Amino acid sequence: MNFKRIAGTAVGPVFAILSALIAGGILLLIIGFNPLKTYSQLFSLGVGTYLGLTESFKRMAPLLIMSAGLIIVFKAGIWNIGGNGQFLIGAIFVGGVAPLLVDRVPLFLFFIVLCILGFVGGAAWVTIPAVLKAKYQINEIIVTMMMDFVAINFSSYLVRYPLNAQPGRFPQTILIPLEKRLPNIVFTEIHIGLIVGIVVVILAHYFIKRTTLGYEFRFAGENKKAAFYAGVNIKKVIVLAMLLSGGFAGLTGAIDVLAIKGAFQAEWNPGYAFSAIPLVFLAQLNGIAVIPLAYFFSFLSIGGEFMSRAAEVPVFFVQVIEALMLIFFGVSEYLKKRSKLFCGF
Amino acid sequence: MWFLRMLFSEPFFVVLLGGTLTASTPIILAAIGENFVESGGVLNLGLEGMMLLGAFCSFIAALLTENIYIGLLAGMGAGVILGIFFGFLVIHLRINQIVAGLGVEIFVIGLTSLLHRVLFGSEFPVVADITAKTPIPFLSTVPYINSIFNQHVVTYISWALLPIAWWVLYKTNFGLNVRAVGENPVAADAHGVNVYRTRYMTLIFEGVLAGLGGAFLSICDLAFFVFHMTQGRGFIAIAIVMLAKWNPSKLFYGAFLFGVCHSLTFGLQILGLDVPREFILMLPYVAVILLLCILARNTKLPGAFCLPYERE
Repeated sequence: MNFKRIAGTAVGPVFAILSALIAGGILLLIIGFNPLKTYSQLFSLGVGTYLGLTESFKRMAPLLIMSAGLIIVFKAGIWNIGGNGQFLIGAIFVGGVAPLLVDRVPLFLFFIVLCILGFVGGAAWVTIPAVLKAKYQINEIIVTMMMDFVAINFSSYLVRYPLNAQPGRFPQTILIPLEKRLPNIVFTEIHIGLIVGIVVVILAHYFIKRTTLGYEFRFAGENKKAAFYAGVNIKKVIVLAMLLSGGFAGLTGAIDVLAIKGAFQAEWNPGYAFSAIPLVFLAQLNGIAVIPLAYFFSFLSIGGEFMSRAAEVPVFFVQVIEALMLIFFGVSEYLKKRSKLFCGF
Repeated sequence: MWFLRMLFSEPFFVVLLGGTLTASTPIILAAIGENFVESGGVLNLGLEGMMLLGAFCSFIAALLTENIYIGLLAGMGAGVILGIFFGFLVIHLRINQIVAGLGVEIFVIGLTSLLHRVLFGSEFPVVADITAKTPIPFLSTVPYINSIFNQHVVTYISWALLPIAWWVLYKTNFGLNVRAVGENPVAADAHGVNVYRTRYMTLIFEGVLAGLGGAFLSICDLAFFVFHMTQGRGFIAIAIVMLAKWNPSKLFYGAFLFGVCHSLTFGLQILGLDVPREFILMLPYVAVILLLCILARNTKLPGAFCLPYERE
């Protein structure tokens, strides 16, 4: 790891982030907000306060876990863009089963079982697009996206009817009591989901970089034909990569329910996948680079949420910025190819 | 039996058929556009965003001018601008088309929601008096099928466009160029076809149609704008293009099926069937997946699909 190489690869994302912030600022000017004031408020609410800092670290957990799955699947050259649906299925599984287990098993086992359940839920949801892709080459982008809308309606049905804790009130599953939620990291108010997230994303990184299977994933992602003739089982790669990414999306849902929400609520769809997609591309599908960027994305979204609560710029502004970062990241890749300025290190 | 009798009772059937045709209109329009773009070797995953931007801009224009046709034009204009922007990203800058498409999609979802919230807060203003339909004289009074001839003018246009699109794509020089550019851009270029310009033209064409489709959704079908109101219609249109194997004349079947599933949402409720609403709402998406399983196995894609072209 030499410094020059890291600096060289950091130029693209930094360019993308700055350009997105500038473009977002111009947009703010057009719609009648003061961009400097907005940004300083966004940053001070996201980083400057104890609450903002804690909430940002909490928000890192779902982004990190979601990113771990996306790194694996994108490296394998497969487009699972239905992470939001897999998240919801993992979350509703956990929301539905948690009340059955909560008083019957030791707390430690409770968390483990439910995290596995969330993982299985997300992975199960992605099985259909995975098999269709592996067996019949049916475009996984379309199918995962369709499954997203099915998941929204399916989980909404479950929470309104069979799993509804109090019919007649706002539909949600039975609440997990506060003392049975995921514990906090010592001396902080941040739940251990953050540690899970960091571990998972590092594991995903080493899985892709250092294991034989990970190598096959990368090989298939870079050149499917060559990988096929070199004896890589493409179908296995497709199914495994998609199951892993769906599983991690489901785990994200499990952690969010177990740590923060305590239940699955109707109309709840935080859309972490649409934040994690720009995030992993800015990180150039590198698990280590995901960690600092996840912090950046978290405080943007937390700052944005706090700001919109103060009746200032609506929360959608952050989504616009994230999308712009993805677009400008593409632009930076082009510039990198075109000029020595970007790879002159 | 009572179910079938209800289904084919005249008033119900008329409502169902009318709703089906109305719901399929934006899909037909967007799918025709995407068909041209994909035949030209480009995948525009931002189609959903194109429709959504068209829906938003037409809604704003119609609200300001109280004129539906200015609204429709605004929708088309918005689509064209987004088409050119997307073209610049994937044709000139050669950005990965899936990344650019997703970026545009997320961007437009965020942007339209942001602007709507800034302009109207949590209110959802309604455009007055614009859902007017254009009945065709005489035919619109025939029992059972009268709702076919009592549609919005945009719906008639979309039907007329289906054969025209087929003719342009398969029988004209321009269509041949589009397909050549999609199959083998190097060879097309060697024969003097301007690859970049052809691809831009397909994207502009798609912008017009997808913008119109979105505009139809917000100011002809509904008269208001809601966050992410396209609800996956752009992706459904892409799927329908694949189902039709890039043949515009076959797009109608897929769009019609979407329309049936969509209008069943109201239909089954009228019938009083005790099916939870959520299961009816997921019907169109399930239907698309099932159809893809049956009809789109091992589909042959255009030769240069999703590949950027760089002129040497």
